[in-house]
Amino acid sequence: MKRWHIRDIILVTILAIFMGVIFWVITPLYSALTAVFAPMGLQPLANEILLGVWTMAGPLAGFVIRIPGAATLGELLGAVVEMFLGGIWGASTLISGVVQGFGSELGFMATRYRRYNWVTLTLSALTTTLVTFAWSLAREGYSAYHLGFLLLLFAVRFASVFVFGGILTKLITNLLDRAHVLKH
Amino acid sequence: MNPSLKLALLVLVALEISFTHVWTVNVALIVVSLILMVWGHVAFKRLAMLTLIPAFFGGALVWSLTLRGTASSHFLLVIFTRMVAYVYMGGWFAQTTNPLTLTRSLEQNAKLPSKFAYGFLAAFNLMPKIQAEVATIKAAALMRGQVLHFWSPQLYFKVILAAMNWSDQLAAAMTSHGFVEDAPRTHATEIPLVTRDWIMLVGSLVLVQVGLFIGLP
Repeated sequence: MKRWHIRDIILVTILAIFMGVIFWVITPLYSALTAVFAPMGLQPLANEILLGVWTMAGPLAGFVIRIPGAATLGELLGAVVEMFLGGIWGASTLISGVVQGFGSELGFMATRYRRYNWVTLTLSALTTTLVTFAWSLAREGYSAYHLGFLLLLFAVRFASVFVFGGILTKLITNLLDRAHVLKH
Repeated sequence: MNPSLKLALLVLVALEISFTHVWTVNVALIVVSLILMVWGHVAFKRLAMLTLIPAFFGGALVWSLTLRGTASSHFLLVIFTRMVAYVYMGGWFAQTTNPLTLTRSLEQNAKLPSKFAYGFLAAFNLMPKIQAEVATIKAAALMRGQVLHFWSPQLYFKVILAAMNWSDQLAAAMTSHGFVEDAPRTHATEIPLVTRDWIMLVGSLVLVQVGLFIGLP
């Protein structure tokens, strides 16, 4: 198993900060979506649509750095960046960061950190959705929703995580692959 | 309070109120965090933000749970106060903790390997440069008539190349200045960890347990 060295630690941190900076711009989008959906009682949909963006640091870090723990650390550091940049959710993002990162990590763990392809990313999207959804059931009180609405939320969340953590991540890593900067 | 223990306290309490349904404890946590923030001279504008934003999102969530679910009013009250409590506790931590002191404390008190502590610090000090780099990449693309959005693979590709370059250079710079991974180190600034910190941690945790399990609504 590969171990962490100072270069990898700096790389995962810089990546997390980059993601934090890029995602900073979607905060107003989130507020706008919430404002649009809220009157119809559909507020969680705003959350579900954008969740894939927030959880993207995990699969991307896991795919690029390829050391056990990279996905979790990437996502956690992203949360730390958000906290100290002045993100309103403060330290509760730290817990969400670990939950989301661990969710992505499970996908890489399932392929024993050996395969880096579509299968891994799809698995990772699935585990991310399952783990974060279980967390939402408890934390955000999703358990009180009617089953039909709950299924809709789950489907939208998986679609979002798959589009950003799966398809977009694959497109990015294809570019990196063609530039010969990924280790095999 | 020692930053590592403060972080531990915060995470433990936040985790615990995520799974319990006692709104009075949530309110107590909100009040205590508010007092601590006022005590720590947090700006009024910041406090207003910390109140309005969770009120907006919490309100929207509660409204949605009312329309689309089978939640009791007690449950709704718990969820709403929980959201505000998260934000207030997080605000207290982020506004009264210095990132440098926290990293030092994690290394010295929580035994985080020094390669992680210094690796994080090295990267975090690049923050302004990283923000500038994102702007540069977008501007450079614009000059060629390309608009890069947060869903454009090109944007991330360029960002990752920059990140790889910088991490190579920073790691080389640290090594050439004598940084050796896993070697014993001395510390320029010692972060104290005294009995008082432990008493505050254990005391606060016990108080929260008492509040949660004596049958308060």
